[in-house]
Amino acid sequence: MELLLEQSLQGNQRAYALLLIETSRFLRQFLIKRLNLTHELEDILQEILISLHKARHTYDGCRPYKPWVYAIAKFRLQDYLRVHYSDQLRQAIDFDELEESYCDYSSETALSYESIRVQVQMLPEKQATILRLMHQDGFTAKEVAEKLGMNQSAVKVSAHRAYKILKEKLGR
Amino acid sequence: MGDIEALIIRLAKDNAALQPAPHPVLLSLKWMGVALAYLMLMLLFSGIRPDFSQRLHESWLFAEMLALVVIFITTSFCAALLSFPDLHQMRSMVFAPVVAFTLFMLVLLVAWQADQPPALTPLHSIECTLSITLSALLPAAWTLYQMRKFATTHYGWAGTVALLYAFSVGAIWLRLYEVNDSIMHVLLWHYLPMSIFALVGWWLGKKIFKW
Repeated sequence: MELLLEQSLQGNQRAYALLLIETSRFLRQFLIKRLNLTHELEDILQEILISLHKARHTYDGCRPYKPWVYAIAKFRLQDYLRVHYSDQLRQAIDFDELEESYCDYSSETALSYESIRVQVQMLPEKQATILRLMHQDGFTAKEVAEKLGMNQSAVKVSAHRAYKILKEKLGR
Repeated sequence: MGDIEALIIRLAKDNAALQPAPHPVLLSLKWMGVALAYLMLMLLFSGIRPDFSQRLHESWLFAEMLALVVIFITTSFCAALLSFPDLHQMRSMVFAPVVAFTLFMLVLLVAWQADQPPALTPLHSIECTLSITLSALLPAAWTLYQMRKFATTHYGWAGTVALLYAFSVGAIWLRLYEVNDSIMHVLLWHYLPMSIFALVGWWLGKKIFKW
């Protein structure tokens, strides 16, 4: 690896490619140990490799290579996890909001599903299906989620977006 | 071909011989050289307080100046270390400014105790904070710009250290220029704002060091 490093720093593209392949091999092990979300592993690995490339001028070949790589890998992983968990938190906040709006919509008895069927059919297919199942067939969000193979919060978020579109279309 | 392999090929094609970043000691010396040149220029325009050599022998001013210089050196070196993602594998050194700042505070505390009877408090107050801030603007902008060329993985701390470094330049200049022996005054209007600005650096670092 030291030889590859030396050649990479001199601009040898082939040596650099081999070095990155070696690096991605041990980084994959590093990520597997730290991530439950295996489907995200490739994305994070790509981000780390791009970061290593961007920061390669901060490595001079005079100190061990792996600690430098791991420092960047840890940094990118933490960055990713921070974004991931803040997204989850945001989704949880949205979830509270839409619980409220869901109650509002379901209590509006004057507006039946039948009276807005045409507008519902004009919605994106997934949203229209969710509204049909919930308001025409009377399924709960949990049951719709099971039927469509989605999670419950995704169904509620989708329904919430559909309500918003309908509200704008119907001008109320 | 997988995404990773495709990415590696793309990155390899982009690889060319690069000039690696200098060692943090050299980087720090370069930054200190520029800051000292700036300080000299400032003193050339403002002049040194007339009683400086006399005061330097008589009072706690020498210890205070020495501690300020230690802050200046340690923050400069630490800023250079923080520019590297792995801290140039000298992790323990990044806390040197904390030690220097504690030492500085101790010196000020002892100087305050020894200030009997207390020296006259000058009539001006916020003017000192403004002077330090204005004189630190250029070193701060320059240091932040220099650090951005690298790849820090500690945004907040890097911002704090960079501003502490820049404000130490301003504080040294004002201490050399202003005729004032009141410890209370320098604590309130020189060093407290300097510490607050260092905290602002934490926020600033998170905004500008992203890469």
